[in-house]
Amino acid sequence: MNSYYAATLLVYAGVDIIACLALNLQFGVSGIVNFSFIVFQAVGAYTAAVLSMPPDTANGGYQTYVGGFQLPFPIPWIGGALAGGLLAIPVGLVVLRKLRSDYQAISLLVLSVIANSVITNVRPFLNGAAGIAQVPGPFADQVNPLTPSYQLLYVGLTVPCVLLVWLVASRIVNSPFGRSLRAMREHELAATAIGKNPVQLKMTIFIVGGVIGGLSGAILVGFIAVVAPSIWLYPETIILFAAVIVGGRGNNVGAILGALLVPVGFEEATRLIPPTIGEWVPPPNLIPAMQWVAIGLLIIGFLWFRPQGVRPETRRVFEGGPE
Amino acid sequence: MSPTMTAAPDKPMLVATDIHRHFEGMRAVDGVSLEVLPGKITGLIGPNGAGKSTFLAVLAGTLPATSGTIVLEGEDISRLPAYQRARRRLVRTFQLPSEFAQLTVLENLLVAAPNNRGDSLFGALMGKRYWVGDEDRLIEEARGLLKRFGMSAKESDYAGTMSGGQKRLIEIMRALMLHPRLLLLDEPMSGVHPKIVEEIQYYLQDLRAGGLTILMVEHELHMVERLCDTVVVMAQGKVIGSGTMSSLRRQQEIVDAYLIG
Amino acid sequence: MDLYVAALGFGLISVSVIAIAAVGFTMQFGITNMINLAYGEVMMVSGYAAFYVNRAGVNIWVSMIAGALAGAVLSFLLNRFLYAPFQRKGTNLIGMVIVSLAASLMIANVMLAIVGYYSASYVVDQGPLVRSNGLVLTTAQIAIIVVAVILMLAIHLLLRYTRLGKAMRATAANPTLARNCGIPTQRVIDVVWLITGALCGVAGVVAGMNSENFTVSSGAGYLIEIIAAAVLGGAGQPYGAMIGALIIGMLTELSAAAIAPEYKEVVAFGILVLVMVLRPQGLLAKRGALAAAG
Repeated sequence: MNSYYAATLLVYAGVDIIACLALNLQFGVSGIVNFSFIVFQAVGAYTAAVLSMPPDTANGGYQTYVGGFQLPFPIPWIGGALAGGLLAIPVGLVVLRKLRSDYQAISLLVLSVIANSVITNVRPFLNGAAGIAQVPGPFADQVNPLTPSYQLLYVGLTVPCVLLVWLVASRIVNSPFGRSLRAMREHELAATAIGKNPVQLKMTIFIVGGVIGGLSGAILVGFIAVVAPSIWLYPETIILFAAVIVGGRGNNVGAILGALLVPVGFEEATRLIPPTIGEWVPPPNLIPAMQWVAIGLLIIGFLWFRPQGVRPETRRVFEGGPE
Repeated sequence: MSPTMTAAPDKPMLVATDIHRHFEGMRAVDGVSLEVLPGKITGLIGPNGAGKSTFLAVLAGTLPATSGTIVLEGEDISRLPAYQRARRRLVRTFQLPSEFAQLTVLENLLVAAPNNRGDSLFGALMGKRYWVGDEDRLIEEARGLLKRFGMSAKESDYAGTMSGGQKRLIEIMRALMLHPRLLLLDEPMSGVHPKIVEEIQYYLQDLRAGGLTILMVEHELHMVERLCDTVVVMAQGKVIGSGTMSSLRRQQEIVDAYLIG
Repeated sequence: MDLYVAALGFGLISVSVIAIAAVGFTMQFGITNMINLAYGEVMMVSGYAAFYVNRAGVNIWVSMIAGALAGAVLSFLLNRFLYAPFQRKGTNLIGMVIVSLAASLMIANVMLAIVGYYSASYVVDQGPLVRSNGLVLTTAQIAIIVVAVILMLAIHLLLRYTRLGKAMRATAANPTLARNCGIPTQRVIDVVWLITGALCGVAGVVAGMNSENFTVSSGAGYLIEIIAAAVLGGAGQPYGAMIGALIIGMLTELSAAAIAPEYKEVVAFGILVLVMVLRPQGLLAKRGALAAAG
């Protein structure tokens, strides 16, 4: 196994784990069906990109985008995370306050579709359909990105982020605050009857999820050096939903498990499919199409047979109770 | 642990004035005024569709009133949303089971407790040591309640797996964690095994003895008779009488409107 | 101002397409409580069904029947083997939304595997131009509008005057009560999915006729305007969906003329959000879905 492959695997795993932890906080723990999650990852990626790129006249000026401040690490990553949080504010204020849950889900889904469409069509903003390429990663001017040492460096930057996010998610889920979120998920009306303010709870966790989602985008764009609308179409959110449902809703280990099984596991499994099976060369769209069909089947299968996921939410038992 | 009684015995705990609730052409509550006296159990009875549960929901803030005022111990809470009324210790229960199913029985009680430093994003991020003190104190309080209501053995079971009567008790205990001034009970005996009905009656009397004020919507007239100090009768969105059960029985219109006895 | 008159013309066709689709979509929600996010995909599949028939030399209007059939069958199967079992299991609304989203993904990608990215377009004899007050439409376009009107009328007659229609309304209002009154709700629901599936199929074909071409990814795009129209009119209200289609169709086309065609979806989305926030019950809100004409 060469180091590029290993590094790619680890970085992708890190990004997916972070994203799944965020979605789990929003959906698994708090019951917010955020079908627009991928937009927050995209916002983080674009922000990190325009913060770290040189002005758009550089490289022959073939791309048009805002920003281009050429800021060094860690500013682009922090900026990406903040952008995710900032986006969550207006979206949350409109969608999470008065709408019933199914309307919330639909609005967020449609938002995802529209956002992609707008970014694609408004070329000068973020270079439209082509997206932004040649995004410099952290320390790319000090260490040559094409070397194995850079790969190692990148993994070394990703892992602490994963640990930090895991710490935050852990503290939230295992705290009285997390308990209030779960109560709201279980029965929002009863939660208001015991003094919980559902709008405040939802906005808080929506913003937190947005920040973490934005961070995941920033990490990704620095590694693959490109961000374009085709990467963040609305079905990408569904992969993450599949991951959270499969891994186990409402708990962080489940989210990590889901991230490893679904986005990562899938990618690796399809890599093993040979380019030709005997004489037959499958058409180029068949494998990605079948991947999506499999994701759909996975979601439906788990919702039918094991809705709590591979690792269900733990039952909290407190010390000193009766045996 | 008993709720504190803050009102003088003759000053009302709650005054509702001319409450209307109109929705989609229906006048579910059509000008209801009533007073709830502290330390007493007030019953709210009436035929189906009289608007009793709707009125309760309006008092609790679950449904907005079309017009009218609600004053809780001198404070006008008419404009407050439900969660803020709960924080002012006006707590309601629901007719249909409303436990937090995927939380344990103990967690159902803990989540209701208002003063926990860990119950905010900041508190959560600060880590366990920041809030473990509050948490331990509240666990003790909750366990006290569980013991009092005979459900200690179930503390670590999922609330969703409890029986109807147990869920009802969980709801009441949950409400008590807020140290309510006024408890609004929506048909607490409905869907509950007769044996548990006896128990609930006993607990409610016990709570009243401790000074808790209760307003209770209930169908079971024997229960109402045994439990309630005063009774308000509603029909078709209006109040058609109030007083003790025996005085109400003597009023022919009430008997006609709603066959009592 | 020619631009706006032309937009009006396009608006009429848009309204027709959206109306046929939205009525079907809203009835699925009203009667079976199902937000069928795979609706757009079923439209797309029906569009392709008609395409293959059309390519074999059959007139587009006859091919439309093939599309309607495809839509009816696919929708029926979708409900029978996926939605209804989950609903019987007690899955909540959000779970059903996720299931339908998964279904839409699967349908779109199965089609992708079969058809590829190849875009399809119909062979349509547009017929002579018809002019009126500066409005210029081809006969084929007018035919689309006529089809829409006929279908709306048919639905109205169905709901108001037939026993089946009454059974549908009863099932929509209160399924348990309906069953207790002897209405075979299971069969009513099956028929609802066949009828709305047929509407969906026709909508897919006219949508394909109304655009230069369509691909396997066209489904999601259709859905936005349909949902906007359905929610605007009042979820579950077929007459509301017709009104919603009128408003959405006209507004999106006019804004496309005024701003730019790429933003049609954005306008629809904006209206959707506004409605959801300001008047979530929609224009024709009544107690109990499907309160058709009394």
